[in-house]
Amino acid sequence: MSEYVIETYGLTKIYRSGGGTVVAVDRLDFKVEKSSIFGLLGPNGAGKTTLLMMLTGLILPTSGSGKVLGYDIVRESREVRRMVGFLPEGFGLYEHLTAEQNLEYIAALNDIPKPERRKRIEDILAIVGLYEVKDRRVSGFSRGMKQRLGIAQALLKDPELLIMDEPTAGLDPEGSKTFKDLVSKLNSEGRTIVLSTHLLFEVGPLCSSIAIMNRGRIVVQGRVRDLVSKLMSEEGYKIYVEVRGDSGRFASALMGMDGVRGVRMGLDGLYIDSTKDIRVDIVKIASELSIEVSSIRVEEPSLEDLFMRYYRGGGVDA
Amino acid sequence: MPSVSTVASREFSDIVRSKRFIILVAVFSIVFMVGIASIYLTVLSTARGLGIAMPTGFIGRAASVVASSISYFAPIIGIALGCDAISGEREKGTLRTVLAQPIYRDTFITGKFLAAFLAVSIAVSIASLVNVGGSMVILGVTPTGEDMVRLALFVAFSILYAVSYYGIAILLSTVARRTTQSVIVSVTLWAIFTFAIPIIASLVAYMYRPITSIEIMGRPGRNATNIRPSPEEMQRIMEQIRARAAITEAINSITPNHHFTKIAQYILGIPGSIMQSRPDLSIYQGLASAWPHTLVLVLVACITLIASYMIFVRQEVR
Ligand SMILES: Nc1ncnc2c1ncn2[C@@H]1O[C@H](COP(=O)(O)OP(=O)(O)OP(=O)(O)O)[C@@H](O)[C@H]1O
Ligand SMILES: [Mg+2]
Repeated sequence: MSEYVIETYGLTKIYRSGGGTVVAVDRLDFKVEKSSIFGLLGPNGAGKTTLLMMLTGLILPTSGSGKVLGYDIVRESREVRRMVGFLPEGFGLYEHLTAEQNLEYIAALNDIPKPERRKRIEDILAIVGLYEVKDRRVSGFSRGMKQRLGIAQALLKDPELLIMDEPTAGLDPEGSKTFKDLVSKLNSEGRTIVLSTHLLFEVGPLCSSIAIMNRGRIVVQGRVRDLVSKLMSEEGYKIYVEVRGDSGRFASALMGMDGVRGVRMGLDGLYIDSTKDIRVDIVKIASELSIEVSSIRVEEPSLEDLFMRYYRGGGVDA
Repeated sequence: MPSVSTVASREFSDIVRSKRFIILVAVFSIVFMVGIASIYLTVLSTARGLGIAMPTGFIGRAASVVASSISYFAPIIGIALGCDAISGEREKGTLRTVLAQPIYRDTFITGKFLAAFLAVSIAVSIASLVNVGGSMVILGVTPTGEDMVRLALFVAFSILYAVSYYGIAILLSTVARRTTQSVIVSVTLWAIFTFAIPIIASLVAYMYRPITSIEIMGRPGRNATNIRPSPEEMQRIMEQIRARAAITEAINSITPNHHFTKIAQYILGIPGSIMQSRPDLSIYQGLASAWPHTLVLVLVACITLIASYMIFVRQEVR
């Protein structure tokens, strides 16, 4: 099998509703690397749910194609559904059933042999921390508990790939933390995790790769590191130098350097706005001027900076 | 197919534990008792008071009550179980979870249908037993062996009748966006079939074949004591009544209700209308006469179910 667990080629979904049409997913080409934690980010209505439901065979594409774990998402949808754990938006649980009954039903639908079923269910309930409440009805569960039961449901297949649609919606910080730990653990077992969210800060730091989606298109995608350096080279580097000595002279020397767009005086250092990474040159100039540099660092743009940039870039305001 | 039985057993246990099912069976049992008691109080005691000979035997006394009560109960239980079979799961979001498992979509409907078939059979059997038992106690009649056979056949046809309404309801539930829509439409349809169409049928028949007997009787030149029509006139009146009945039946035959009423009449040997002086039918003759009507009910059930399948497999799970 290829190194990608998901590949799409011109994947498109057009909804027809009341005379009009909505292009929910627009000629999408994207790939998800094996063993990654992939974040699909985008505002409400970006088409995330539509995309994930096409991948899991719940919605038929209008055109284009895709492969999940090497299986065609339309022709071999049943194979995909056999292999991929899916947590739908809203968790999709039977509220009137107990946690265990929910899992039993899904296990039976997956033809997990009866003798194995009991143990598998109990193990998974323990993994998501719901073993103690397995005989309680889901209607009495908190959001966090429902989310973990939803994940348990998806894990019954022992999936290589776990797809989760808005898994962190409505979670409190503690629930978020538990979720991150669980996802890291599942990923360390070698499972690929794909999750969608419209709130970046909740899951962004967890992801090794992201794609930012807007109006059915992927605006930008890649490894978080690569995207960060790409953004830095476009937006410039914010370099902070802490110095002892005549910082005024130092500042004017820096101003003359190639690539420097601005220098601002800080409390005990200088903020340099540059188009290139000029840390080495800065240190060289400092030593020429006999100025002692006690620290120098590049301020990386945060995921939020990234998000705001591309979100806005391809967004509704554009 | 293991998945069919998985879906069916889940659905069956949901149905028989639902308040809706229990309340319907309980309420109808009470209504039946009241109905039988009122028959006893009004018809039988009045007849006795006036010295009119009433039909004897179980079928003669109780059959029409049993038939008419079941003719109300069967469609309602069918609608109650079918109207949210698909839309309910769609609304709760559980449909996404289930269909993301490696099952075929038709399996899902088949499972639902089998569960409903079983539940309907139980409900109709209970309702019929309550009716028969109530009649035995209140009206003081005991079914003979042949009566029992007729009743058993009647129960089987009542189940078919309920299933045909279930088919209509599950089709609406598949098409409807919300359960409230499918409830409103199926109940409206039932009311139209049960109340509106028979009235419309009579009105249409009256418009096309007004009965002129009153004019004939009131023709000037006859004296008041001699109002008996001549044999030729009598012939004409009968002809008109028959023509009217033909129109009424033709219109009524678009409803499943009409066909069930016919089947009940043939199987239980209830006289159709006052004008119909039909010799008592044997069970075999009854079945033979009921055959075309049975076919209609089977067709209604099959067509609605097949339509539900075809729509559901192509449907977007939203
Ligand atoms: N059944 C449908 N009929 C018509 N339009 C639809 C349908 N489902 C979704 N859409 C439209 O398709 C677009 C994408 O919707 P989708 O639910 O995939 O977005 P999303 O990124 O998951 O949003 P959210 O963050 O709100 O969950 C939206 O504009 C939505 O209104
Ligand atoms: Mg969504």
